Amino acid sequence: MPDVISQNMPFLLQGLVTTLRIAALTAIGGTLLGLAVGVAVQLRLPFVAGLLRVYIEFVRGTPLLVMLFICYFALPALMGLHVTAEQATVLGFVLFIAAYIAEDVRSGLRSIGSGLVRAALATGLTRLQSLRLIIVPLALRRIIPALFNQYVRLLKFTSVASVIGVQEFTGSAMLVNARVFAPVSILIFVALTYLILCLLLSSVGRVLHAYLAA
Amino acid sequence: MWLPGQGRSRFGFTVNYQFDWEPILESRALILEGLATTILLSLCALALASIIGVIVGTLASSRHKGARLGAAAIVELTRNIPLLIHMYIWYVGLAFLRLPPFLCGVLGLSVYSGAYVAEIVRAGIASVPDGQNKAALATGLTRLQALLLVVYPQALRIVAPSLGNVFSQLIKDSSLASAIAVMELTYQASAIEGQTFRTFEIYITICALYLLLVSAVTLALRLLAGPRDDAPAQELASA
Amino acid sequence: MSKPIIILEDVSKSYGAVPVLRGCSTAVSRGEVVVVCGPSGSGKSTLLQCINGLEPYQSGSILVEGVEVGAKKTDLPRLRTRIGMVFQHFELYPHMTALENVVLAQVHALRRSRKEAEARGRRLLDRVGLASKADTRPGKLSGGQQQRIAIARALALDPQAMLLDEPTSALDPEMITEVLDVLIELADEGMTMMVVTHEMGFARRVADRVIFMDQGEIIEDSPTKTFFSAPVSQRAKLFLSKILSH
Ligand SMILES: Nc1ncnc2c1ncn2[C@@H]1O[C@H](COP(=O)(O)OP(=O)(O)OP(=O)(O)O)[C@@H](O)[C@H]1O
Ligand SMILES: [Mg+2]
Repeated sequence: MPDVISQNMPFLLQGLVTTLRIAALTAIGGTLLGLAVGVAVQLRLPFVAGLLRVYIEFVRGTPLLVMLFICYFALPALMGLHVTAEQATVLGFVLFIAAYIAEDVRSGLRSIGSGLVRAALATGLTRLQSLRLIIVPLALRRIIPALFNQYVRLLKFTSVASVIGVQEFTGSAMLVNARVFAPVSILIFVALTYLILCLLLSSVGRVLHAYLAA
Repeated sequence: MWLPGQGRSRFGFTVNYQFDWEPILESRALILEGLATTILLSLCALALASIIGVIVGTLASSRHKGARLGAAAIVELTRNIPLLIHMYIWYVGLAFLRLPPFLCGVLGLSVYSGAYVAEIVRAGIASVPDGQNKAALATGLTRLQALLLVVYPQALRIVAPSLGNVFSQLIKDSSLASAIAVMELTYQASAIEGQTFRTFEIYITICALYLLLVSAVTLALRLLAGPRDDAPAQELASA
Repeated sequence: MSKPIIILEDVSKSYGAVPVLRGCSTAVSRGEVVVVCGPSGSGKSTLLQCINGLEPYQSGSILVEGVEVGAKKTDLPRLRTRIGMVFQHFELYPHMTALENVVLAQVHALRRSRKEAEARGRRLLDRVGLASKADTRPGKLSGGQQQRIAIARALALDPQAMLLDEPTSALDPEMITEVLDVLIELADEGMTMMVVTHEMGFARRVADRVIFMDQGEIIEDSPTKTFFSAPVSQRAKLFLSKILSH
């Protein structure tokens, strides 16, 4: 390992921890929100579903960086709040990824035939029960691959947070580079780290999918 | 303007933000400049990503195992590295090349998106029945002719929607070029925001512009793919 | 009979470790119609595809008009324009009209002018009774119509021989005759053909010879009369009794 890397390892690791923290928080938040939104839209909840559709379409048409700017600069200005860059990042990412997950959830729900729904209702379950006990768990199992796709995207996205000054992995690495100027070794190290993390994450997804499918 | 100037929000806290669209209108030259750069950046990257994607995707569907493995390795390597890092690689890592930021943006964006296009091309080729390729070869077409005249056109129809998604994503991703000083839409928006503090107005404006671009690409691809009146020939026969 | 267009000598092929063709030898002379039959998986399709260079073979030799198909330096596209091929599932190009299907290889493989190719294409569509469908896409046509267009596509290259792989087995019964009629006409005009088919009436009527395959081997290769009246092998007898019993 080149000296620039090993000498700055503690600092880089700290950045990596921030990256992982942001990724984990947004994965959890995004999944929960996406699930709620997806189910609400698919159930065509009156009024809410329409609003949520607007939200989904808006986010899916917006670049991630612009979403971050909105959460960091525009929303706080609009509401007169103050947020840290990391808070804005988590908020932006959650809002962002949830819109995509919601669409995955919807197509997962749609893939479950009406025969199964009828069967569940026929056993005496209420609509809500059959949704909670049968449809949603089954849909979740089906969308595991799509979900993990989103998590991998999310992990890569975290690097964008450096643009609004969050000192996550990419941000820390660029800081180190500004100090010692060794762009080649630093970028190779950064790229390889993301590569390994992303590959790990997608194989977890594959294993989980295979395990649940069995 | 269509947004309320001031008032109580539905959520109960006071909104003190004063909407003022005047500065945005005054900055329209910068916005248009940024928009033009975004369009040019996206078009260049779109073309290059398509070329990369078609080559790598075709290799990935080759009969030769080596070519398939090589293509898979390229795809995994490029799409599992964040786009921002791709841009930094050209702009910072290869700084000694002294490439202009715009070119770095195009290269980073193309290589990254090219991996996604390659996956789609591979899936598209796989979705065309092998018999089609064989029939084309049997009439004396060369491998290349069979690909260009028979396989690709059918694959394109099948993958047009996914291709549209990747191209829309590319346009949105081009905003990251602002991080390497390409003066595209997002960059100009930040600059205008810094001067005018019309934070909300400017970001809403560029969101609308991105949405416009994305819709344009989606529409263009839908037209390009043509009407889908040619369901696979077998359908009728086996029916 | 004149000198053979297609000669197979001791041809063997396997997919990985699985042998599919074992020591196949035969020859097809100009003007001859040879029907190939045999149980499913016996290697009939593979045999035809090897002759057209669509599948490689590991040993033996296949000569088409004196050219070794498997040789590295063989110009396969040129060789394939000399041989027309018709597939079980038609394999018409769904993104092109009937006429475009017939024109494509004329223009790109034979380098005919588009005008000439279209004229020839229309004549052939007329010949298979589908002149009115020139601008229709395959998806809108019946199976029988599609197969007739596929035959026109193969004929458009003025091939010296035709290879047909179960041309009627994907068709509904009422469409089989319309395709067989075209083939009978071709045979009567002296077209050299190798036809994989289980239409034994058709075989009796037009075939000069019948080849019976089983498990990758050519078990029997006899004149049509002999094959139907006195098949030599037990396996062919069994196959015939099964196929003729219904
Ligand atoms: N691409 C392939 N890979 C591996 N094995 C194959 C492949 N194609 C064919 N085979 C095998 O080769 C054998 C011969 O196949 P072939 O299609 O030539 O038989 P066939 O006589 O045409 O049968 P059918 O009457 O069903 O069309 C079969 O056992 C088949 O499973
Ligand atoms: Mg067959």
